[in-house]
Amino acid sequence: MEPTRTFQFLGLTFNVSNMISGVIVAVILFAFIFVCSRNLQLKPKGKQNLLEYMIDFTNGIIKSTIGNDAPKKYGLWAFTLFYFILIANLLGLFIHIQVGNIVYVKSPTADPIVALTFSLMSLTFAMYSGVEKLGYKGHFKGFLQPVFLFLPINLLEELTNFLTLGIRVYGNIFAGELLAGIIANLAFSNGLWLVPVAAPLELAWQGFSVFIGCIQAYVFVTLSSVYVSQKLSIEE
Amino acid sequence: MYTHLVIAAGFNVGDMLFYAILFLLLMWIVKIFAWKPITKMMQDRSTKIANDIDSAEKSRNDAAKLAKERADALQNSHDEATKIVSDAEQAGQKRRDTIISDAQNDAKGLKDKAHKDIEQEREDALASTKDDVADLSIEIASKIIKKNLNADDQKALIDSYIEGLGNPNESR
Repeated sequence: MEPTRTFQFLGLTFNVSNMISGVIVAVILFAFIFVCSRNLQLKPKGKQNLLEYMIDFTNGIIKSTIGNDAPKKYGLWAFTLFYFILIANLLGLFIHIQVGNIVYVKSPTADPIVALTFSLMSLTFAMYSGVEKLGYKGHFKGFLQPVFLFLPINLLEELTNFLTLGIRVYGNIFAGELLAGIIANLAFSNGLWLVPVAAPLELAWQGFSVFIGCIQAYVFVTLSSVYVSQKLSIEE
Repeated sequence: MYTHLVIAAGFNVGDMLFYAILFLLLMWIVKIFAWKPITKMMQDRSTKIANDIDSAEKSRNDAAKLAKERADALQNSHDEATKIVSDAEQAGQKRRDTIISDAQNDAKGLKDKAHKDIEQEREDALASTKDDVADLSIEIASKIIKKNLNADDQKALIDSYIEGLGNPNESR
């Protein structure tokens, strides 16, 4: 993989590329939401309709997994998570800034650390919600279900949930970017005559990547809310 | 090249921290700037729609009630008008009857009075005729006396005269 620019701060390693990309995603998302949420009216039109549709969409996801009154409590989390990951997935498809051989802007979710950070946050949030609803005792009793012998299996399940949730997104987006890069290299690898061949291929792959990015964001949020609902509804 | 595929390869805890904070911060400002106002607006809208539906139902019922009241009032005024007309007809009939009977009474009275007057006239005329006849007979008598008639002839003559005059039917 191409080298990345990192720096040390308080003994921690920071990746400049990830930080820039993350901030860009956050700024795009917030700017969009900010613009859409100006001049809110009882009778919505235009951009307000769009924003309300976006909210209804994520509310629909958590309604179908957690319950009908879930949007009040988990709506904001699902909304922010879905659109952050969606934009993060798509960012690398239209912006790819590379200086020398160091990439500065790409899809943040194409980095396993970022994807796993989000899956860790989702799992932590699920456990937090479980503890909040059932108390520590009720929550940890859930690991002994159906009998205490299942404890290792349940613990392993938590680990696999964490890994699969993160790596699924990472794998899809990373593969998408990798293949896009390979097709781009192909175009200029052997003179310009390959460009007409590679351009439609790249176009098709970009379109498919958009599709994959949307699906993966949807899957990520759906699975996260499923984990939350599992933690909320542990049988007595 | 494949170091990236190994998860531990670039394990930058700083990135994790950065993304966690970034995400929480984003969630917080989205909540302040968009989530709260827009969910409040959506809530307001749903309550307004519910209220509107209720009030529409209410005004529909009110309108129906009002229309019924109007129809009832119209029916009542129809009945009243019919009653007034029939009352007036009855009163008119009664008044006509009294006028006619009064007129008949008046006419009868007038007729009776006329009869009486005629009778009186006749009797008066008869009385005066009797006087005339008496005068005339005296005159005749004096003329006959002048011609020396005897008393018997004279008496018979006078009687026959009076007899003839006393029967009015015959004299007419």
